[in-house]
Amino acid sequence: MSAHPKHDEDFDLYALGALEGDEKKAIESHVAGCPDCARKLAEARGRISLLAFSAPPVAPSPGVKEGLMRQLHASAEGRLPTRTASEPERQGGFFGRGWTMVFAPVAAVLALAAIFLWTENARLQSQIAILNATADQQKLQANEARDILHIAQANDTVVVALKKMPGSPNGDAKVSYNAKMGKLFYDGWIEPAPADKCYQLWLVPMQGDPINAGVFTPAKAKMEMWTATVPQGMPAKMFAVTLEPAGGMPHPTGPKIFVGGVS
Amino acid sequence: MERVVGRDETALAALYDRYAGMLSSVLNRILRDKQAAEEILQDIFYQLWRTSTDFNPARGSLPGWLAVIARNRAISRLRRHRPEQGEELLENTIVMPFNLETAIAQQELLGRVKRTLDELPKEQRATLELAYFEGLTHSEIAERTGDPLGTVKTRLRSAVETLKRKLHP
Repeated sequence: MSAHPKHDEDFDLYALGALEGDEKKAIESHVAGCPDCARKLAEARGRISLLAFSAPPVAPSPGVKEGLMRQLHASAEGRLPTRTASEPERQGGFFGRGWTMVFAPVAAVLALAAIFLWTENARLQSQIAILNATADQQKLQANEARDILHIAQANDTVVVALKKMPGSPNGDAKVSYNAKMGKLFYDGWIEPAPADKCYQLWLVPMQGDPINAGVFTPAKAKMEMWTATVPQGMPAKMFAVTLEPAGGMPHPTGPKIFVGGVS
Repeated sequence: MERVVGRDETALAALYDRYAGMLSSVLNRILRDKQAAEEILQDIFYQLWRTSTDFNPARGSLPGWLAVIARNRAISRLRRHRPEQGEELLENTIVMPFNLETAIAQQELLGRVKRTLDELPKEQRATLELAYFEGLTHSEIAERTGDPLGTVKTRLRSAVETLKRKLHP
């Protein structure tokens, strides 16, 4: 077995694809026989894959998911018999050329019917998949509605009105928070955030750093309602909405837009 | 994944909802072509469906595997060559140091990665991005930028050292 790489960063450079020639081969041949270094390479692959998160956010079109579902059904159902190039063509016998002349038009009609039924089946399967996806979405919405109801009905839920800070975009919001459940409900409206920015809600506990309670990017100044889950049993001192870089931040860095203390 | 292996389409749809945004972002960043990015995105999840029984959770993190596959496929398309044998990495282990199961966890990590990259010196970050998003090797980066090969190697090594130091749980 070849010697261990001199630096652990060599595994990251390999995972990045930057190494070439002998440097690349040395890592490959060594890792094949060294479990410790294979583990280091696996960790480096995971670390380097995090760079995917530095790409600017681009949401896929809804059609991609629909296409995927159609593809699943087409692959599951679509097995039309085809003759491969290696199969010899049948000649003579009971189903020889004479019978072929008679049955060829019938076979063509049956084949067309089979194709029609297959495509129709694929279309229906696709519709079922879309309906299933819609049902899942409705289930999520129903769960969220149930959460909202539980938060609103609980005796120990606190409702915090958030006040707009001077110079902030127009808006109005409140947070209903139940520390025991570890759930909150945001309800408000605000002008859209500038490009490459987002709004982020923070729970400021009695002790410790603010906790991320959700990132939102309203497209229009219309009412937004959503729920979020935070660590349970965390008494809140206040809530705040800040303006942060797109995607949100682990800790608040931007200006406060709304602030509300828990009385 | 167990439900995907059991041919539960709603489970695949849930995995799509969880990870498609992250994959779409990296595919678009590499290809700068939304149609090509979406073709690959759909194909990745279709492959996940077809080969789900080959996926061994003990050997790797699913989001890590998806991110690696997305990058490899996009770079292959960019450079117009087919992935090398074994590049698909189904057999390889990927240890993801973070839990990416929830949208909030992904958002937190996104902020952390961006902040780490923002702290890198400009040249180091540019070199790292050429390697990651364009799939260039040391010598290809040197050729592209006109910088000496030794300088490129030093910048990239320093950049990955910083990533390693800052991006641990």
